[in-house]
Amino acid sequence: MALPQVMRRYAGRRRSNFIATALSIGAAGFGLTWLFLILTVLVIKGVGGLNLAVFTEMTPPPGGTGGLLNAIVGSLILTVLAVLFGTPLGILAGTYMAEYGRYAKLTMVVRFINDILLSAPSIVVGLFVYEIMVAQMGHFSAWAGAVALAMLVIPVVVRTTEDMLLLVPNTLREASSALGLPRWIVIRDVAYRAARAGMITGVLLAVARITGETAPLLFTALNNQFFSWNFNAPMSSLPVVIFQFALSPYEDWQQLAWTGALLITATVLGLSILARTLASKMVPL
Amino acid sequence: MSLAIQTELKEKAATPAEGLVDKVTVRHLNFYYGQYRALADINVNLYLNKVTAFIGPSGCGKSTLLRIINRIYDLYPNQRADGEVLLDGTNVLSPKQDLNLLRAKVGMVFQKPTPFPMTIYDNIAFGVRLYEQLPKADLDARVEDSLRRGALWDEVKDKLDASGLSLSGGQQQRLCIARTVAIRPEVILLDEPCSALDPISTAKIEELIDVLKRDYTIAIVTHNMQQAARTSDYTAFMYLGELVEFDNTTQIFTNPRMERTQDYITGRFG
Amino acid sequence: MDTHEHIVRSYEEELSALNNKIAKMGGLAEQVLGQSIDALEGRDPDLAAATIQQDEAIDELEKEIEEQAIVMIARRQPLAYDLRQIMAALRISTDLERIGDLGKNIAKRALAVVGEQQPKQLMLGLKHMGELALGQLKEVLDAYIERDADRALKVWYRDEDIDAMYNSLFRELLTYMMEDPRNIGLCTHLLFGAKNIERIGDHATNIAETVYFLVHGNTITDQRPKSDTTSSTPVPLRSAG
Repeated sequence: MALPQVMRRYAGRRRSNFIATALSIGAAGFGLTWLFLILTVLVIKGVGGLNLAVFTEMTPPPGGTGGLLNAIVGSLILTVLAVLFGTPLGILAGTYMAEYGRYAKLTMVVRFINDILLSAPSIVVGLFVYEIMVAQMGHFSAWAGAVALAMLVIPVVVRTTEDMLLLVPNTLREASSALGLPRWIVIRDVAYRAARAGMITGVLLAVARITGETAPLLFTALNNQFFSWNFNAPMSSLPVVIFQFALSPYEDWQQLAWTGALLITATVLGLSILARTLASKMVPL
Repeated sequence: MSLAIQTELKEKAATPAEGLVDKVTVRHLNFYYGQYRALADINVNLYLNKVTAFIGPSGCGKSTLLRIINRIYDLYPNQRADGEVLLDGTNVLSPKQDLNLLRAKVGMVFQKPTPFPMTIYDNIAFGVRLYEQLPKADLDARVEDSLRRGALWDEVKDKLDASGLSLSGGQQQRLCIARTVAIRPEVILLDEPCSALDPISTAKIEELIDVLKRDYTIAIVTHNMQQAARTSDYTAFMYLGELVEFDNTTQIFTNPRMERTQDYITGRFG
Repeated sequence: MDTHEHIVRSYEEELSALNNKIAKMGGLAEQVLGQSIDALEGRDPDLAAATIQQDEAIDELEKEIEEQAIVMIARRQPLAYDLRQIMAALRISTDLERIGDLGKNIAKRALAVVGEQQPKQLMLGLKHMGELALGQLKEVLDAYIERDADRALKVWYRDEDIDAMYNSLFRELLTYMMEDPRNIGLCTHLLFGAKNIERIGDHATNIAETVYFLVHGNTITDQRPKSDTTSSTPVPLRSAG
């Protein structure tokens, strides 16, 4: 067992192990460093403009002072609408794929298309909604923006719902069916309850995704310099405002853009943490 | 096996002996997974208020047979049964059979304990609520009665609000049994209920089966020969999708008629 | 009976060992019986003494078999044929042990009558009966080894012959004793010897019943033809002399 050639090979293996470990740690460190740098720059540049005015005043004209109120509210409205449109559709579709149609050919097709949509360029989605809604209606609107964002929400929710429901062991379904419970009750009271954490995480991840989407909004909700509750008219949103302000030559606008970026990043960070905490707290199985 | 003995065994399965009532009668049952025939011409009876054990090597079809009786195989595509399975005279394989009503009469407990992700109380009440509108006091009584029948009441009476998943394996399985008897079935199917449990939990469940058989007709699939010998009144030995021998348990385990049965139960499978 | 072997080889070996112990015990019992008859007939006190010693080995084997059977029941939870094998081994070892004791007793009687005059006719009768019993024992043990229930059944029926011989010997001995009271001592020993041989025959039929049960799984349903009428043989009252 302790023969010299065995020990030599063992030493060689230890060396390879060490090299591989070092490379992995190095790569991780490299990635983390850049992430850290980005976050640092964001915080340094953004915190400077963080004050109450950001949350209470509207976007200013070039050279003026103001805040991001209409953009923040606009983003909130668009996000809420997108989630309201997209989540039920996504959950029901995912339920069909995992429960009723698990072995159907239709499910395979839907899954394939869904995976494509999942990584579809959001600008394409924006153009599509422009064509079917904005061009037809004759003007930009918050509705169109919400629809575009919803089309980005749906694939995520479908995917996570289906995956989480597929993770629920079949024995649980059989056990409830064996009690004579009808299919929809088995799904609602047993399968959903068991997959609850995962499904909620899916919705939160979808929200995190659309929080920073700019391209689709450019073609649908456009932007609005003023505060507006009119869903039928263009509505401002943080990403679009950042786009507009960051490329401008005015320092005030640029500062607001950094602050807006910081806000978006903080929101996404908060949602991710929330998703993770919920997932670990609500583990039923 | 000689044709004469084969015929005799089939006739024996078809006509119940003195004092025995047929609860479930299986006649000329064939079962297919796609093109593959998993069960061939099965004829067997489950007698009222008796325990019937199904033994045989892995893949012989005993679990498949059990899952036909409450048609749980219907949840999956590409599986079909033909023949007759009569529950009190009605063929449950007929397309007109209401599956939910069938499963209310024929309960099933699975190999892996499957408590629902709810409180212990809700685990039991869940099924009951679906069939009956009981006032709270009656529902409480029903939950307690079921837990007593499942030999679990003393251990959980102070924590009915705890999650069903917080119980030990043996307790979870007894919870599943209590849940099954809560909706007052007539037949209980047990698919290797003790495989995942320790000896003490196993013994508690065997004692439970002894008590339950006074009120229910029970079928149990088990890999453990000694368990089949201990708990059952009748035993069916299956091999490669066929019913090789069906007789009262004492006969099967002291002097079986088929050599293959003897080879299997003594561990001489060649 | 079984074309296959146990999957667990040690189980198969234990069953074989049990089988062999019975065979060995049977051989010893045959030896004890044969030698004690020879000692009685040939008035050989050394042979008789040696035979008495041999019974110890038989007792030892019975203890071993009983122990092994209990251990196997606890460890292996035998079923069906295996269970019958172990139960058969237990029962046969008991019968063989009794046969050994009875044989030893015959040898003791041989020692007791060694000095006396022995009437040829009586001794011939006794020897013949002893050979019959030995034949039965050999046959039933072969039936056990071969697991042949038919041979065992034949032994079971043939016990009649031994009983018949015993009846006639009983009468002869009675007559002898009545003729001359000086014969009573010798005849009493011979009577006990004959009784022992008849008992050995009965034990052989017990073994036959066990072999039948081992092979078929149920007991013989016929009534065993018992024709030992000595217990009801009246003693004619006659004045002595």
